[in-house]
Amino acid sequence: MKQLLSPLYLHKRLSLTLVLLAAFIWSLFSVTWSRDLLHAGGWATTVQILEGLIKPDLSPDILELAVESSWVTVVYAVTGMTVALIIAFVLGVLGSGVLVSSRPVRIVTAGFSRAVLAIIRAIHELVWALLFVAVIGLSPYAAIFALGIPYGGILGRIFADMLNDVPGEPIQALRAAGASRLHCLMYGYLPLIRSNMISYTMYRFECSIRSSAIMSFVGLGGLGYQIQLSLADLHYDEVWTFLFFLIAIVVLIDAWSNSLRKRLVL
Amino acid sequence: MMSKIKIPSKKRRFSFVAFSILLALALLAGSWGHIFYAERANFFTLFNEQNAEYAKKFFSGLFGLQEEKPAFTDKEAWINAGKLTYETLQMSVMAIGFATIAALLTVIPAARNIADGTLTVSKRWYRWILFGFFRVIYIFSRAIPELVWAMVIVFILKPGILPGAVALALHNFGILGKLCAEVIEDTDARPIRNLASSGASNAQILFYGIIPTVMPKFLTYILYRGEVIMRTSIVVGFVGAGGLGQQFKLSLSYFHYTEITLLLICYIILVFAADFISEGFRKAAK
Repeated sequence: MKQLLSPLYLHKRLSLTLVLLAAFIWSLFSVTWSRDLLHAGGWATTVQILEGLIKPDLSPDILELAVESSWVTVVYAVTGMTVALIIAFVLGVLGSGVLVSSRPVRIVTAGFSRAVLAIIRAIHELVWALLFVAVIGLSPYAAIFALGIPYGGILGRIFADMLNDVPGEPIQALRAAGASRLHCLMYGYLPLIRSNMISYTMYRFECSIRSSAIMSFVGLGGLGYQIQLSLADLHYDEVWTFLFFLIAIVVLIDAWSNSLRKRLVL
Repeated sequence: MMSKIKIPSKKRRFSFVAFSILLALALLAGSWGHIFYAERANFFTLFNEQNAEYAKKFFSGLFGLQEEKPAFTDKEAWINAGKLTYETLQMSVMAIGFATIAALLTVIPAARNIADGTLTVSKRWYRWILFGFFRVIYIFSRAIPELVWAMVIVFILKPGILPGAVALALHNFGILGKLCAEVIEDTDARPIRNLASSGASNAQILFYGIIPTVMPKFLTYILYRGEVIMRTSIVVGFVGAGGLGQQFKLSLSYFHYTEITLLLICYIILVFAADFISEGFRKAAK
């Protein structure tokens, strides 16, 4: 049957590609393409920016500042991830409905938790940051919660999906041996998804470094703040120094999570 | 005479996983320590009367309790917000288009099995150079957040949709490139080698071997990044790259809180609609 239908599948994919292409062409019409798109000094600025790329500012002052703000960036990322993990774990377990035995209760709690997860992850972390700064001012907690809440939403959804995808047999064996729902979670579900959870969390941690760098645009310190200041001073060489530090952190964490993933998965 | 039994001591190797756990714990301790001691941020002082006052003001502002004519009951404001949403949508679609084109053009040399010749059974000395070059570009473009790209690009391009789209595309180009290169690396090499050994040219290998096998996965990744771009499109607007974000920032600066509510509603609708559509597309692409 599937073989008979395979031209249809191919056709479907082709038409999907065409739809996407048409959407892209439609979007191109929104811009009036002319030389006016560039600033008057646009080319000169581009050259200056590229010059900064080749000759970043490596004076000791800037380097010290960069190291310091890199640390602040990492601090916000790690603390934000802590909050995210707590949110994700609680709402993820509730959202997967593995703790509740009666069906109607499960539908209500799981549906509710998943809706909460969907809403908190739909709003970007920078929007959360602006809202938090408006409410609690420039406290580090504004950054921590702004980072933790949307990341909690993303992680929680993934955790819930992972818990639901656990194969049924080991859990049934545990149930048959008289384990409670909580026992099943602790000794059945969690050990099965542990390595996947860790590897996804590591990937998100890498993303959170980038997010925490841009978190500073609302005035919360860190690498992004320094980049913003240097850009405002038109010191493109300093901008590149900070960017290289950001790239270095991201690459380091990427390498760490890659080698950890290789040892965990499989 | 007592015979000594040697009990082999259990060798504890300092494994990488143990190291990772220690590093994670150290990072946690260091970070929270920094928050508590260096920044002297006390969690419980957050709940003081002043902040409660701010929060009350802010939320009653958001719900338009003090205003006579909140923006979300105003027809004009809805039309305006709708226009901005439309612009944001166009910006995101353009961004994913640019990112896709750039990634597709560079992805083939950036796959490891093309570079070492295991996929096409042919070796060229320059392939490793191309591989390294494109991989470094990918790392570079994806390590810099889209907001930073946007800040740099508004120095070059005039504010509007285009700088936002270019900034979003630059960041996602690196991510898409990396993901797609990994797809090529994971493909089954046998059919393609078969093509190569029966004398297909490089172009033929590309069109009859590689593209049909990797395209479904590529489409999935493109749609997935499209969702993410939709979500981040509001952010590049903050630095003046057009769309909902620009208006959001302006309204926040003018303390027009009800407008913020309206824009947030539009934004959430946009994100949910994008998620829904791309979910449908992804099912169709399977």
